[in-house]
Amino acid sequence: MAKILVVDDEEHIRLLYSEELREAGYEVITADSGYKLLERIEEEKPDLVILDIKMVDYDGLDLLQDIRGRFYDLPVILATAYDTFKEDAKSIAADYYVVKSFDLTELKKKIAMALETHLPE
Amino acid sequence: MIHLEENPQNVTEAELVVAFPTFDEAASIGRAVEIVGQGLQEAFPDRQAVIINCDNHSLDGTRDAFLQAATPVPRIYLSTEPSQRGKGANLRMLFQKVLDLKAEVVVVLEADISNLSPSWVRLFAEPIQKGAAYVTPFYMRHKYENTLTSCLVYPMSRCLYGRRVRQLDAGDCAFRGDLAATFLDAPAWGDAVEATGIDVWMGTVALVSRVPVWQTFIGMPKEHRMKDPFAQLSVRFRQAVTTLFDLMGAYEDFWRRVKWSKPTALFNLDGQEVESPPIVEVNTSRLHQRFHEGFQEFEGLWREVFDPMVFNKLDEIRSMSFEQFTFPTHTWATLLFDAAAAYRRMGEDGEARSALVDSLLPLYLGKVVSYVKRTERMSIQQAEEHVEGMCAVFEESKPYLLEKWPH
Repeated sequence: MAKILVVDDEEHIRLLYSEELREAGYEVITADSGYKLLERIEEEKPDLVILDIKMVDYDGLDLLQDIRGRFYDLPVILATAYDTFKEDAKSIAADYYVVKSFDLTELKKKIAMALETHLPE
Repeated sequence: MIHLEENPQNVTEAELVVAFPTFDEAASIGRAVEIVGQGLQEAFPDRQAVIINCDNHSLDGTRDAFLQAATPVPRIYLSTEPSQRGKGANLRMLFQKVLDLKAEVVVVLEADISNLSPSWVRLFAEPIQKGAAYVTPFYMRHKYENTLTSCLVYPMSRCLYGRRVRQLDAGDCAFRGDLAATFLDAPAWGDAVEATGIDVWMGTVALVSRVPVWQTFIGMPKEHRMKDPFAQLSVRFRQAVTTLFDLMGAYEDFWRRVKWSKPTALFNLDGQEVESPPIVEVNTSRLHQRFHEGFQEFEGLWREVFDPMVFNKLDEIRSMSFEQFTFPTHTWATLLFDAAAAYRRMGEDGEARSALVDSLLPLYLGKVVSYVKRTERMSIQQAEEHVEGMCAVFEESKPYLLEKWPH
């Protein structure tokens, strides 16, 4: 079972994602901020991270750069309420992005693609 | 093969190499060497550096302009035989020299970049010091600059080799010194690679070698002495597509196993001021006309090469007026996949292969018309998202390639 780390400072999003993704067969763990995120990833070894871009104390795009620096191939999906973030070149480092919605069809599709991605060793 | 070498400072070892492949660049090379010399002194004052000019035996004074440029950085001039032409031939000499010098970091820059600045040396070299093995630039480009990359090279290389490298064929790059040996041994070296196909070839060899490939964010456009984007297009198109197709044959075992794609590390994203690229105009009605002319010349060949369903789609596209014209990316991808499979089946028949590749040019121009019409009201950023969408269609269509590829 693939393990997904949801990083979002909005509790209702964490709850929504946890419930729906568990129902879809994933193991879900959550974090409410970017605080010690790299250590958390090191410890929990998730197969994929869903990262909120705008959190009160953290910039998701900066966190994405930090993740790429240490976990080069860890799939990261950016989740955001707006798509203006794409003007920032840092967003290129994400595997995929989704606009937040109560319908998680698109998110689940991107999760499946990110987990299926295969490059030969 | 190095035909001629001049090494006035008798350099036998170097940690850092900056190389300029040239042919008749006397007007540009001196200035480029001085800028790079300044960049080396500012960013790497303690590193043993050398600037190398790999030249196609230019007769316009390139050699003298290179050796006489005002910089304290030592230089080496290499030349191919007088009859040999092409950037690939120049870089093959460089690979050999890099191994001789035991260089750790190699930066390759085109000599005619009019806005080259000393900072570019660091932007290309530092990612190698930080762990990359191959670095491609990420220039700020207008949405219609290098449509060959946006509509063909990027979607194809990404769906085949699984890494999102936006400007694989930008013309400039950096690589770790030991990768020179990999380049010297790599397959699919041919006439196209010896010319401008070298950029696609080096990038692909690096991707397949599974070494860390990074992009370095330049934050500004790359400006040449003014070039018409569609001048020399048929030659550049032939060399890029031939190289892509030859590499597909050589690396079949690799790309067959690739599913979807992964992002690539980006260097230099902090505090970067971004410069807007100059506007590129495209004459879509002329390109549309050339798309239609392609049917007169190549319809018979296309009927042989393309799956009947795919050809019917093409026929539908042909029937559209200019105002309604659209060339769906799925059709474009399957046409290219059919063509790649046919190219493979043609084996060593070079004439048939060349005819096939040349026949794809009008189709590419049709795709460009569609891309321009679709993106004309879009910002550069929105057009980039459209290109990403095209790449996603190529990736989704890849099972068609696997089905059509000859066993």
